[in-house]
Amino acid sequence: MASSSARNGVSRLSHLLSKAAPVAAPSLQSPSWQCPGLAPGELAPFGTRMASSQIVRNRMKSVKSIQKITKAMKMVAASKLRGVQTKTENSRGFWQPFVALMGDHPDIDTKKNIVLTISSDRGLCGGINSTVVKLSKGIFKLLESEEPTKYIVIGEKGKMSMIADEILKNVEFEAIRMVYNKFASVVSFIPAVATIMAPELIAKESEAGGKLAQLESYEIEGGDSKAEVLQNLSEFQFAAMLFSASLENACSEQGARMSAMDSSTRNASEMLEKLTQKYNRSRQASITTELIEIISGAAALEAAS
Amino acid sequence: MVLSLCVMAPNRIVWNSEVREIILSTNSGQIGILPNHAPLLAALDMGVLKIRSDKQWSAMALMGGFAMIDNNRVIILVNEAERASEIDPEEARKSFQTAQAELAEAEGRRKLIEANLTFKRAKARLEASTIV
Repeated sequence: MASSSARNGVSRLSHLLSKAAPVAAPSLQSPSWQCPGLAPGELAPFGTRMASSQIVRNRMKSVKSIQKITKAMKMVAASKLRGVQTKTENSRGFWQPFVALMGDHPDIDTKKNIVLTISSDRGLCGGINSTVVKLSKGIFKLLESEEPTKYIVIGEKGKMSMIADEILKNVEFEAIRMVYNKFASVVSFIPAVATIMAPELIAKESEAGGKLAQLESYEIEGGDSKAEVLQNLSEFQFAAMLFSASLENACSEQGARMSAMDSSTRNASEMLEKLTQKYNRSRQASITTELIEIISGAAALEAAS
Repeated sequence: MVLSLCVMAPNRIVWNSEVREIILSTNSGQIGILPNHAPLLAALDMGVLKIRSDKQWSAMALMGGFAMIDNNRVIILVNEAERASEIDPEEARKSFQTAQAELAEAEGRRKLIEANLTFKRAKARLEASTIV
């Protein structure tokens, strides 16, 4: 490649040389020296050769700064992850008792369904959003019944309690399927589903000896009626699960962002390597061409004298 | 026979050890739990949880939640919990008095509910701090 570009350079210059060579130094400023396409008086290097190396250099600069950004984002994600991870681990104790008490029945047969998808607050975090969206779509298809299933998508932090409140107040449901990414380790997260049942459904299932038969063995205390306590329990469970799931998802988000940023930093350094090679090559080519110009110029002068 | 008690708030485990007896404040009044209690599911009000380990009584303020008792295991999930030792009695008394004054002045449904909640919180904290 280097040699071909050098050859091109020579052929491009040959007509100039043939004209310029016999002329003495003062005529250097004559218009015949100007490259075609350049304004007169503009002292530009020959051809696009130098310009292209300029472009490569700019490209290298931008890749370098992008690499810096991705590196910094990785660091930020790593430090954020540490904080969220401890919070998530502490919150897991909070949701286990619910699973122990009522189990988790994603297969429960219901009419009015809600699919609650928890997505991340920001982008640039690998595939975590597409995994939950895919899973939500799958569940949506599985849940098809006469009553249309509703979607609720969450993707902004700090509004969980408000969201829980709004859903409980405004939407009628039998079961909510919460789709989120469960945090397994820094490099892996598992899309998961948590099911929250409405109080009426809990009462029905426990009394009829369905999936919640063991709940019937509990004496229920507090509140005026069993229904009221179950309502409270269901709402409390929903809030706890939402809290926990959003933490798990935030944790997965930071982990995914960390690995995504890591690989893009690596990509950037690979790209930089390639560009550096290209740049050096074209620089070498231009040096070679210049040498050829000088030597052949000198040879021509010698021949003239 | 002992009870294994675990009190959890969303951000931490507040208590996790074996105890002899606990007294819970549920929505319908206080109940005492001794070992070998029947399975129980109780909705908790804002109030004090009293715990006896051997002869030592300790207390904490719970801000609403649920208690599940089964097979001598007590799991209490709460929105917020504060151990009596973490509460400053002077500060609790002051906030109780301001909450009381606010409740007396509160007008309108929304304000009344809010004032009632702060009052209950302050009362639970004050009770917990003065028991020990």
